[in-house]
Formats: sequence, structure tokens, C-alpha cells
Amino acid sequence: MSNTKSLLTIKDLYASVEEKQIIKGLDLDIKPGEVHAIMGPNGAGKSTLGYVLSGRDGYSVDSGSVTLDGEDLLEMETEDRARAGLFLAFQYPVEIPGVSNLEFLKASVDAQRQARGEDAITSADFLKEAKAACKQVNLPVAFLKRGVNEGFSGGEKKRNELMQMLLLKPKLCILDETDSGLDIDALQIVAEGVNSQRSADRSFIVVTHYQRLLDYIKPDFVHVLSDGKIVKSGDASLALELEAQGYAWLQKEPVEDELEG
Amino acid sequence: MSEWLESAIARAQGINDWLAPKRAHALELLANTKWPTRKTEAWRYTPLRPVERTQAKVITDKVELLPVAIAGLSAIELVFVNGQFDQTQLTKTLPEGVSISLGSDLDTAQQTEALHTFSTIKPERHIFGLVNDALAQDVVVVTVAEGVEVTQPIRISSLLSQGAESHTRVQVTLAAGSRLTVIEDVQAQGDSFNTAFVEYKVAANASLEHYRFALQTGSNVSIGGSHFSLHDHAKMHSTLVGFGSELSRLDTDIIHAGEFADAKLNAMYLLDGKELFDLHATVEHAMPNGKTEENVRCIVADRSRAIFNGRIHIHRDAQKTLAELNNRNLLLSDKAEINTKPELEIYADDVKCAHGATVAQIDKQALYYLQTRGVSRSKAQVMLNFGFINELIDLMPNAALAEWIRPIIRERFAQMEVK
Repeated sequence: MSNTKSLLTIKDLYASVEEKQIIKGLDLDIKPGEVHAIMGPNGAGKSTLGYVLSGRDGYSVDSGSVTLDGEDLLEMETEDRARAGLFLAFQYPVEIPGVSNLEFLKASVDAQRQARGEDAITSADFLKEAKAACKQVNLPVAFLKRGVNEGFSGGEKKRNELMQMLLLKPKLCILDETDSGLDIDALQIVAEGVNSQRSADRSFIVVTHYQRLLDYIKPDFVHVLSDGKIVKSGDASLALELEAQGYAWLQKEPVEDELEG
Repeated sequence: MSEWLESAIARAQGINDWLAPKRAHALELLANTKWPTRKTEAWRYTPLRPVERTQAKVITDKVELLPVAIAGLSAIELVFVNGQFDQTQLTKTLPEGVSISLGSDLDTAQQTEALHTFSTIKPERHIFGLVNDALAQDVVVVTVAEGVEVTQPIRISSLLSQGAESHTRVQVTLAAGSRLTVIEDVQAQGDSFNTAFVEYKVAANASLEHYRFALQTGSNVSIGGSHFSLHDHAKMHSTLVGFGSELSRLDTDIIHAGEFADAKLNAMYLLDGKELFDLHATVEHAMPNGKTEENVRCIVADRSRAIFNGRIHIHRDAQKTLAELNNRNLLLSDKAEINTKPELEIYADDVKCAHGATVAQIDKQALYYLQTRGVSRSKAQVMLNFGFINELIDLMPNAALAEWIRPIIRERFAQMEVK
């Protein structure tokens, strides 16, 4: 595996939101096919990382570099990052009344196919694919006709995110607290959907506060994010350790360091 | 008084027909009406220079014009060409219980009744309503007999050729328990000027589905109104779609003349360039237990100007009224202008009345969400603008009309420049 070229490389990244630095020297290297879990307490910068990588307005990079497949991700517009294969599954997907889910999905797929120089998919073929994707994530087909996420329950929104992932076939998926607000049944459906998409050329960053999700989506690596940087990395067993210990030790260590110093 | 109005009055004085009493009354009122200026509240944001300067002339020679086809819509066609009722285009076989007649062809008793109805629905405060009273060319009277449910919509098209002036007037009466759909449509070529007023009397338990499309753009000046009088348990559902032109002004009056009437008005207008669209919507709750719901949405781009005045007047006796007015506006450019004014006047104490008006820019979060899926920023903007309006199109009861107008609106958004 170590010989494989990296899919995502983040080097010494510093990023701010409204002048407040949230990401402080983050390094991460992800190879194709790997699943990395990022865990950490609230306020550690978990969601910020997804927003910075996707290029959200108001999230500015102060220094460091990020490459996706060798390309400078930070130089790209948000839509070009998506077209390059980045997908962010939102913790709180946005409701867009008046724009039908189907229209939204087709516009997304069309834009990405066009960027890859592929022919546009016909409406009939797309509808078939979309219906199959609905079935896979256990959403009624009627949801294609509704406004994007409009009036969807929390679980339905998460499944709708997953459906977008199935249709867009990204190289790198960032799941931002996809487990939040889900009951165990919904969690299993989402996890099954994610697992079905695992492949040698698709990688995942699973951002979560709780270990629970990782019972269903087995990570290759687990990283602990605290105060904007990764403070500890390990294999799946690290998640279990965190579950047992909580995050309190993160706050203690720096204090002890100070005392020693 | 403007030169234009003076010449209009002079022209009207020469007409002598069955509408003479109505024309005379209008002229009398016009003589005492001040030409609106910026200080006239009802015309504050809509300068009348385009009317003062118009070179449009009444064209009496016959001109061949056809209304645009609407796929999937089989309507009873009622066509005015340059203000003249085109009998040849009128659908030959009308459904039972429906009559469409030129006012001058009615018998004396019918004319007397029509004249009476003319004086009860459209309020006299509309200066161009009075102009239309005085100058109306062909007047058409439509009636639906008691209990008749007409499935085929009636489409009233007012077509204008280059440089034409027209004044059209239609009166629609739905007798008790009847049902009808009416589509009003103006299609105007450049440098034209028209006033187009339609009045609806919706008798007890009758139900009207109404559409008004004001899609004329460019150098057309269009001033008109749709006026409704609702009687006991009457229902109306009205949809207005407007683009702007050099001057487009529409007055809508809904009068709850009976109890338990139910009115819905969904209006949307989308302006670009230097276009102007002015909607004045007035609801008079004169009787108890009425219900009104108004949704008005507007998008302005470039240097266009939108005006909305939404007045709800709940009279002292109109207890248990439920009235709701929601106005949302989207600004696509900092040179565009929105003037919105909800006006509530409530004299009854046991009513529920809510209103809200917002002016906003595009939802940044939704824009970002679409971009994270690979949709370009400009395409995402078009999608969101369309979605804002599409919510109201989805509420149109007539599917053929909704399917027809959707791509037209989409195309308009694609052309609007976002700055």
C-alpha cells in the first residue's frame, strides 16, 4: 500500500473562519481505497476541515497545502473540487424548496460528466439510475419529485446525501457527522450504503464524535483531532479506546506539559 | 392634466353606443381627477412618462394576429386584436350554459344588467380604469349558467400589433354554483399601449380559477386590472405571472361581498433590464367569515424596478376573517429596486390577519450546497432563482399551463444577468 500514490495529501494546514484560526497545523495522507475516521471533541475543527476542503466562502486557508490526486485543491472553485472527485456529505443538508430533488441530482451529474468530457445522460436513463439509487438507500421514489431535502426528516436527509454519493461516484467522500441524529436502523442503512461504495479507488474520511458509527463502517485508520491538529493516530482499536476514555485526556495533557516545562 | 388624457377625453366624447351612460360617468370623474405624479400615492414609484410620450394609435384596419399556442391546453379562445373582438377566432361550439357575446349584440335588458355589473365591481379610483370605461372598444360579456361546471378554460387574449393602442373590457359572470377557468393574456408588439380590464362576478357557491399572464416586455405600456366580487361561499384561485416592460401596471381588487368566500392569489414577477412592474392588490373584506391568502414573489435583476402594494381592508362587520399576505423579494443586483408596502386596515376585532414582506439576496448556503455537488455558481444561481418562483408554479391547478410557463421562466432566468 505504501507504494501507492496518495489520493489526498494535507500538509501543515492552517485555516481560519472569520479571522479565528481553527485548523492549526494539520497533516493527513490518504491513499486510494482507505477509510480514515477523524474523531474528536466538539470544537476541535472536525466540520471546519470538510468546509475548508470543499472551499466554503468565509473559510480561508492561512498556510499549508492540500492536493487531491496531485492537483492543488486549494486553487480550485468549490464546483471544480466536486468535479475533481471530492464529495462532502453534510451534517445538516440544506433545504431548497422549489428545486426538485431530481432536477438537483441531474444538474449535479450533468455538470460532473461534462467536466470529464462525457456525453450528457438522457433524462430517461438518469431517472432509472436515480430510482435505483433511491431503492438502495431506502428512500421512496416520490422523494425525487420533492424539493431538495424539503421537509425531510433528519434520517431522510442523510440518506439523500448518500444517494447523491451513489450517483456522483466521487473519489473522496467526507462524511461529516453522518451519524448525528440517526437512530440505529437509519445508521445501519447509511453504513450499508457507505460500505457498498468502498472500493480500491474510493476513499473516505468519516468525521464523527462517537465510536458507534465505526462499529458499522470499519476504518483503516483513526485520528484524533484536537484544537485543529491531529494529536494521535492509530488503527480501529483507537476508536474503542476513545470510547472507553472519552476526550478528557486531551485537555489534561497540555496542562501537564506546561507543568513539566 | 396631461395632453394624452385631454386627447383621450376628446376622443371618448365622440362615442355614442350602449355604454354611453358608463362613458359619461367616467368622463365626469376624469374631469375631476388629477393626472398622477410622484406625489400621488398610487403612482409614487411608477412614473407615467411612457404614457405621456406614447405614439401608439388606435388601428381600425384589420390585422391578422394569432395568440401563441399552449401545448396541451384546449381552451375556448376569445381574442381581441388591437382592441377589436375577433369573432372569427372565437371557438365555434361553446359548452352548454356558456355564452360569450359582444356587448352591442345583447338585448336591452341584458345591456342594462351588464351596465349595472360594470358599476359594482371595479372601483372608481383607478384612473386608467376610468380611461378604459370611457374609451373601451369592443366589450365582451361572458356568462356561465347556474350550476354549470365548465371544464374547458376560456382564454382571453389581447393581441397588439406594432404601435397599436387598445382598450379592452370583459365582464365574466359565474352564476350560482357554477365553475369556470379563465386565462387572461396580453401579447403586445413594440411601442404599443393598452388598457385591459376584466371583471368577475362570482355568485354564491361558484368557483373561479383564474390566470393572468403579463409576459409582454420591451417598449410596451400595459395598464390593466382583474377585479373580483365574491358572494356567499364563492371561491377563487388566481395566479399572476408578470415580466416587466417599459411600464406594466396591474390592479387587482378582490371584494368579499358575501360570507364564507375564499380567495387565493399567487403572484410572481421577474424583471430584468430597465423593466418596471407595478402590482397593486387590494382585498376588501366587507362581510364576515371570509378567507384570503396572498403569496407575492418578485425577482429583480439589473436596473429593473418592482412595486408591490398589498392592501387588506377588513371592514367593521367582517368578523372571523382570516387574511394572510406574504411578500418575498429577491434582489439580484444592487441597482435593481423593490418597493413593497403591505397595508392592513382592520376595523373588526375578531379576525386573524398576518402579513410579512422580506427583501433578500440569494441564499448563500444553498448556493454553496449546489456548488459542492459540481454545479457551477452561475447555474446554481439560476436554479435557486427558478426554485423561488417554481414553488408558486407548483401550486397552479392547471397542469398544462404550469408545464407551459415553466420553461419560459427558466429561459428568462438563464438570460438574467446576475451582478
